Amino acid sequence: MRRNVQVLLLVLTGAGLLHAALLTDVCLRFVKEGLRPALVASGALLVLLGLVAAARDGFPTARRDRADRRSSAPGAHGHGRAPGVAWLLFFPALSLLFFTPPALGAYTAAREAPPPATEAARAFPPLPGGSPLPMTLSEFRLRAGQDRARSLEGRTVRLLGFVTPAGDGGWYLSRLVVSCCAADSRAVKIRVYGAPAPPADTWVTVTGRLRPGPVPAAEAALDAERVRVAPEPADPYRDAAPPAGD
Amino acid sequence: MESVSADDLAEPPPPRAQDGPPAARPAGRLPRGRFPALRDGAGGAGASAGTGPRTGLLAGCAAAAVLLVAGSPWAAHPAVQAWRTVTVAVTVQALPFLLLGTALSGAINAFVPERWFTRALPRRPVLAVPVAGAAGMVLPGCECASVPVAGSLIRRGVAPAAALTFLLSAPAVNPVVLTATAVAFPGSPEMVAARLLASLMAAVVMGWLWLRLGREEWIRLPARRGHRPGHGRWEEFRLGFQHDFLHAGGFLVVGAAAAATVNVAVPRSVLEAFAGSPWLSVLFLAALAVVLAVCSEADAFVAASLTGFSPTARLVFMVVGPMVDLKLIALQTGTFGRAFAVRFSAATAVVAVVAGVVTGWWLL
Repeated sequence: MRRNVQVLLLVLTGAGLLHAALLTDVCLRFVKEGLRPALVASGALLVLLGLVAAARDGFPTARRDRADRRSSAPGAHGHGRAPGVAWLLFFPALSLLFFTPPALGAYTAAREAPPPATEAARAFPPLPGGSPLPMTLSEFRLRAGQDRARSLEGRTVRLLGFVTPAGDGGWYLSRLVVSCCAADSRAVKIRVYGAPAPPADTWVTVTGRLRPGPVPAAEAALDAERVRVAPEPADPYRDAAPPAGD
Repeated sequence: MESVSADDLAEPPPPRAQDGPPAARPAGRLPRGRFPALRDGAGGAGASAGTGPRTGLLAGCAAAAVLLVAGSPWAAHPAVQAWRTVTVAVTVQALPFLLLGTALSGAINAFVPERWFTRALPRRPVLAVPVAGAAGMVLPGCECASVPVAGSLIRRGVAPAAALTFLLSAPAVNPVVLTATAVAFPGSPEMVAARLLASLMAAVVMGWLWLRLGREEWIRLPARRGHRPGHGRWEEFRLGFQHDFLHAGGFLVVGAAAAATVNVAVPRSVLEAFAGSPWLSVLFLAALAVVLAVCSEADAFVAASLTGFSPTARLVFMVVGPMVDLKLIALQTGTFGRAFAVRFSAATAVVAVVAGVVTGWWLL
């Protein structure tokens, strides 16, 4: 890889990182919020490195000086060359800037089997008042599956998630939760009854009640009273309750 | 300090960016005495420079092709999009650590005198190995940082066994990882202790194994230009940093793409079949750790989420992950050569599983 292409690659990668982490929220489709400062610093460092390389090595045409001539013969692993594999870096660099892939959604969530039978029932702190009560999907599933006091019964809750079709015509309200980056996502899925399935990957808020069933239960289910399309949250992988109000 | 060969100083008459006489120069400069069997690393014998416009045209066509594919309806298939998302995610997650590691490796190469290492580590490699393993607690960061640093250490004269032990232990026992483990397994300090112990054991055993069985010609470090005349230390640092980052970054993308392929192609429900049997579950989680390519800071949370599995199996997952995974294999291939990566990864996987099982049986 010639040095002028290296400069381009460094600047593009840095610009991609800065675009994704500093100017927009695109980085949240891939990693967690906590990594954002590191990404901004990395992007700035890469752009700086690229600019220094452009100044020292010449851009857009490589400066032909003593050092360059020394390393232009083939087979020389001089400091002018980077190996061909470095071309692959263009793929993520360009993907951060153009045609950025979307956050993981229904395809990934649908392929995940429901979790194994949960642990025994246990006590939970009491629920706050208010109706409908905004709640996270994880908490809903935990309480539905394990709350000995059955605090969810009779309560109307509001949940936010995206639509994952189930195989049999029904659908799940789901979210993907990540620990490190999008590669290790786990799905939280709540089966929804009483409403027709919106298109897959649509973000919706669902207001409804817990569907009665045994505790502990393997699959949490909701009887929906109202389903509204909602804007996709900036941080799709952080399980957060929907904002209050409709 | 590496010497400058006479070839470098004799200026050939400047050709017009064409292939010079290839026989006139060696393929790379060999540092004196360290690695007589050193051969040129990957990419050094690449195609001749070619004229400027032709390369630019090729690059432009390649970029256009990539963008066209990315924008086409075929790319809108959810599986392809998920693949792209996971590849970019793993790459982006690792990039800051890779930058840190290559900056460190460039700094080691340019600023730290060789004598410092020979004084800091015990003279006998057998003793240097455990010291290097313990030194791994110093470098916080994921495994992407430790591979370039280890390569640089070897170049600076550290015994390969000690450098490789450091390579294995740094991602596994640094304070960030141990804290994350403590947070992911609240109320189970024995899990943190077990992880520390098993990882150190595996790293040190691998270092000693290398002393007994390793051979230098398995390590194919690219010939490194030494301190050249006409370059200040900062320029040397900048060049080394840039080269190492681009080199390792390419291999990182390879590893990320491999992990994404597995992520998309293999459904998670396969997990359920293996949770039952004690032996199978250990082996299965070890294999999962290899293909999942999760950063070592976060694998504790992934392990904590695998509720159906025994503590020993989850410990094995956490011990194997930072030492052997697709990202690491790709990076090691790039830095040390394929012969090394294959042997080393296979041996490390076995040693890590054994260390995890033994520690788990004793402590958990």
